[in-house]
Amino acid sequence: MTDTSISPTTAEERRATRAPRKAPVRISAGRRRVENLVLQILLIGSFLLLWEYASDRWVPKLMVSKPTDIWAMIVRWLQDGTFATNLWVTLQATAGGFGLGAGAGMALGFLTGAWKRLGEVLQPIVTAFYTLPRLALAPLFLLWFGLGMEFRIMFSATIVFFLVYYNTYFGVREVSAELISAVRIMGANQFQVAVRVIIPSALVWVAAGLKISVPYSLVGVVVAEMLASDQGMGYLLSRGASQFSAAQSFAAIAGLLVVALVVDWIITKITNRALRWKTVGLPQ
Amino acid sequence: MLLDIHDVHFGYQNETELLQGFDLHVERGEFVALLGPSGCGKSTLMNLAAGLLHPLKGDVDFGGKPLRGLNRDVGYMTQGDTLLPWATVAKNITMPLEMRRVPRAEREERLNRVIQLVNLADARDKFPSELSGGMKRRALLARSIIYDPVMLLMDEPFGALDAQLREVMHQELLNTVARTGQSVLFITHDISESILLADRILVLGGLPLRVMEEIRPPYGKDRVLAQVRTEESYFELERHLRDLLRDADAETKAAKAAANVN
Repeated sequence: MTDTSISPTTAEERRATRAPRKAPVRISAGRRRVENLVLQILLIGSFLLLWEYASDRWVPKLMVSKPTDIWAMIVRWLQDGTFATNLWVTLQATAGGFGLGAGAGMALGFLTGAWKRLGEVLQPIVTAFYTLPRLALAPLFLLWFGLGMEFRIMFSATIVFFLVYYNTYFGVREVSAELISAVRIMGANQFQVAVRVIIPSALVWVAAGLKISVPYSLVGVVVAEMLASDQGMGYLLSRGASQFSAAQSFAAIAGLLVVALVVDWIITKITNRALRWKTVGLPQ
Repeated sequence: MLLDIHDVHFGYQNETELLQGFDLHVERGEFVALLGPSGCGKSTLMNLAAGLLHPLKGDVDFGGKPLRGLNRDVGYMTQGDTLLPWATVAKNITMPLEMRRVPRAEREERLNRVIQLVNLADARDKFPSELSGGMKRRALLARSIIYDPVMLLMDEPFGALDAQLREVMHQELLNTVARTGQSVLFITHDISESILLADRILVLGGLPLRVMEEIRPPYGKDRVLAQVRTEESYFELERHLRDLLRDADAETKAAKAAANVN
């Protein structure tokens, strides 16, 4: 204590000799976004350049292909319709799997959340199925549904179902009992309580569940197509690899990337609109 | 007599019966405060009056008729924020009317009246997330009076507010019910709040719950709270109630401890 204590003179000296700090810089949000975008483009560009250079020099081209070859493949597929037909199949299956899984998940989530006894009985059972690796169901599903559209849709739906179910269930359970009492005394019947209070309250959670499950439904379809099919983006992916054409696989991945980004963008727009009340009044 | 809780028995399963022949009456236009330590069973009484709970034995009469199911003739306001966050202030306040299928024109008209009453006219198109704590309370008050209930049930409605805002809300509540002639059953554990607002204070405590004392603050319906706060009798009442409440708290705790031993 005595050693470290500073006598007034030295403290004053220190204050006198200390150089003033530079004022912190404040960058406008727009400027920052542009800067970040430039940095991102530079980063990706240099990665692609490095890839192009390393291919066949450091790593065999057979394994990693190279960006110019991949680009040529993408252009060819765009022109001969390979992308269009296979993407269409994958998107249809994704929409189907998402619709089926989300619909069933919301329905069961709402029932088990609102009806306490049913929830107590069913919830552990659902959880047991949830912990089961979904991939283990693939052989059975193949047996039941064959190679076609139904297999993709069902496989994807089983993944989406659990995500949406849990979000809906907890969303409904979260609704405060106080709020429900207040609304019932105001004159609401059971139906009005469900439509006016429980569903909108749960919507925040449901929307979150839907948002995260969209990419998963795409993943489910692609995995199903990789496992067994003769069409779709997943098929293109695995066919490329089995023919030792990394360019084909990478081109398929690039296609999926674009699709996933577009789908995510659309879902974000929709959920933001539905949840506008949640963000107004909050500091952005 | 508007609310008549008569010889009511009520308790939760596997617990000592909380109410064993309890009586509570509220007259038309009367402001009754239930003052008691936390957890003594005040809210249970309110939920019986609201029809959210039903007596095991005995009667709850409202407006001269036995209460069956929910009591839709009361306004209900609790400490929690029970505004619907996805609806604007105007939508929130008129919701009870919508549920009672009141036509749109009349809804507008009544909204304009109550929104003036609680000084929220400027905020009618805002969402609850844009409101301050005091504004939310006003919106809740407006919502619970818009359908002209004959009685307001209020369970620590201003508990979460800071002292200054609470003073403002107290005066506004008194002015409002003086104008509308509504009865109020008001739950609180705040001594000064009960003296300032109530025509009659019931100090509750013990297990089974009983009225430890009944007190009538002598300030009348059109009291000015800033003035009441300076009266000598106000301080005396406060001191007296503080002693009572301490005894009530001790008795409740002792009774609960004894019940747990058995």
